[in-house]
Amino acid sequence: MCSVDSFFLLMEGFATAMQPIYLLFALGGVLVGTAVGVLPGIGPAMTVALLMPITYSLEPTAAIIVFAGIYYGGMYGGSTTSILLNTPGESSSIVTALEGNKMAKAGRGAAALATAAVGSFVAGTIATVLLSFLAPFVAAFAVQIGPVEYVALMVVAFLTVGALLGSSVLRGLASLGLGLFIALVGFDSLTAQQRYTFGSPFLADGIDVVLVAVALFAVGEALYVASRLRHGPIKVIPVTGGWTSWLRKEDLRRSWKPWLRGTFIGFPVGTIPAGGADVATFLSYATERKLAKGENKKQFGKGAIEGVAGPEAANNAAAAGVLVPLLTLGIPTTATAAMMLVAFQRYQIPVGPQLFESNSALVWALIASLYVGNLMLLVLNLPLVGIWVKILQIPRPYLYAGILVFAVLGAFSVNFTPIDVIILLVVGILGFFMRRFGYPIAPMVVGLILGPIFESQLRRSLAISQGDPMALVQSPVAATIYVVLIVIFALSFLLKRRQRQFEAMVAANADASDVVRGSVAPAEPTTTSTSTPTTDRKDNDR
Amino acid sequence: MSTSIQNSPGSGTTAAPGRPIGELVFALLIVSIGIVGFVAGAGIQTPSSASDIGPRAFPYAVSALLVAVGTGLVIQVLRGHRGSADEGEDVDLEAKTDWLTVGKLAGFVLLHAFLIVPLGWPVAAAILFFGAAWSLGARPWWRNLVTAVILALVLQFVFGGLLGVSLPPGFLEGLGVFGG
Repeated sequence: MCSVDSFFLLMEGFATAMQPIYLLFALGGVLVGTAVGVLPGIGPAMTVALLMPITYSLEPTAAIIVFAGIYYGGMYGGSTTSILLNTPGESSSIVTALEGNKMAKAGRGAAALATAAVGSFVAGTIATVLLSFLAPFVAAFAVQIGPVEYVALMVVAFLTVGALLGSSVLRGLASLGLGLFIALVGFDSLTAQQRYTFGSPFLADGIDVVLVAVALFAVGEALYVASRLRHGPIKVIPVTGGWTSWLRKEDLRRSWKPWLRGTFIGFPVGTIPAGGADVATFLSYATERKLAKGENKKQFGKGAIEGVAGPEAANNAAAAGVLVPLLTLGIPTTATAAMMLVAFQRYQIPVGPQLFESNSALVWALIASLYVGNLMLLVLNLPLVGIWVKILQIPRPYLYAGILVFAVLGAFSVNFTPIDVIILLVVGILGFFMRRFGYPIAPMVVGLILGPIFESQLRRSLAISQGDPMALVQSPVAATIYVVLIVIFALSFLLKRRQRQFEAMVAANADASDVVRGSVAPAEPTTTSTSTPTTDRKDNDR
Repeated sequence: MSTSIQNSPGSGTTAAPGRPIGELVFALLIVSIGIVGFVAGAGIQTPSSASDIGPRAFPYAVSALLVAVGTGLVIQVLRGHRGSADEGEDVDLEAKTDWLTVGKLAGFVLLHAFLIVPLGWPVAAAILFFGAAWSLGARPWWRNLVTAVILALVLQFVFGGLLGVSLPPGFLEGLGVFGG
């Protein structure tokens, strides 16, 4: 019954999303999203934060469709960069860089781009179907849970986001703690007491979430890149041939299974807070490597198409999976999801278990727009790759100067006071040092956004139990959630460790193969000898 | 050919020369934020009628987290485990830190904050773009200037004019298309 209902609701969502004006918004979103995905130093989370001013003038459906387009578009754009640019890229597409970059250097860039784009489309579409059917069920379960269970779920989110979205557990938790702390500044929502305002009227209303997010993402990144800017020309590997001939029969035969496997690895990993797309791409890559046979297996590390097809599909499927906890529970597990939650808050739309009931038209229009956006992205990405390559070549001084201008625009338009620009700078400098010392940014943003919701739910639970903390673990559902938490945590930890070992191994192999190739063809320009696959994880989206 | 000085893989932390003090200070800063959290938290007024744990408990919990994690980080850094600096396509990890450029960029953002009100947003934004691009090494200056002016006008038109964000238009006041 539930699924029939949701089918009709989805059809209504399509009716909304297919209106010309919303198609236009979706197109704008995916275009901007692809562009920022392609551009280094700027990602979907930063873009959604920077574009938050549009929530002042657009109606909710339009703005949410734009943001969803940016979210999906960013996933597509990232692969273009990691395949064609001669430097290591964002972490969720790093395995793509591993094989894709090698393919591009061997003159097979077109095939790598094509398998990434088609794989992203296949995975994105299947994962969106899964989202459409799974989300209503989770939502139906979620509306029955009380504050105690909600507290348990948020503890899960905090711990996994803090501990897993970075290379070092302590640094992730420190980042989370800083976010929670900044969220405390201002009036307490329940008792109207001032907290950590130090008597300053500017701090009494609290520090705006968008301001902090823009500062951390945009200003922190611009300052950090400026401190170590890679100078010299931007080397983009040229792509030859018309795009219609990119995916040969042989490539297709080798790609379709990795696409499907990647989808079914990526979606569940995205759904549970296990570190986001990062873990999904790694799992898919490891699987493909293991399953490959004979001649194909030998190509791994030197440009195997399975190593692009699988991880790219997993990446997009995970992106859809992340929307399940976001839309059904109001729990963001990545920085971009956290920024989308802020967009809902700007419209006073209550996020949480009741979202599917109270705003079903909006939610289903959003889901429908994901189908539409995916199709648009496929159409845009293949023929327009030339444009994205041009964007990739924007002079870096202009790129980062532009990011700063957008950041001050976003900061100023929060309250229309220049003080906010100064706060922007201060938090931006904090973000600079966090990057420098290896602190992940995403846990801080998630803590900042979930902190106030968590506190009010915690205090509601304790008010009901008259202050007895044991009540927090005595509900059977909450107890189950905590047990599952421990299991997820242990599993994710093992997974992370295996990922690092695996990457170390792959890195060693890649180095070795570079050396071999280098000795055969010593005349080859060797500009990328240090671009071994990274072992340093960072936020999976910025 | 492999001139790679890739950091030891797998540890999540790496040894990088020449920046232990800064990292130690940052870890200590986290501890001290936690301590400030406790001290200032004691000053939060708690209404006696509160039926729940009141407005102090959660700040204390967060402060405790910061002190505990910060202390752990101080110990880690002292033992020689350093954080691995963020990577990126445009980041050259082997480059020496260019503090001068960072300072210039921060300075131009600060200048921008003071110019918005007297000169209006488009002029302040153009100066920020021009200054930042120059600091980051873009030449020649006239191309930076043209780009800065065009970008500032386009943003003022799109956000101020079309989207209705109230950016002070400065000397463009009176031209309806730039909002106000």
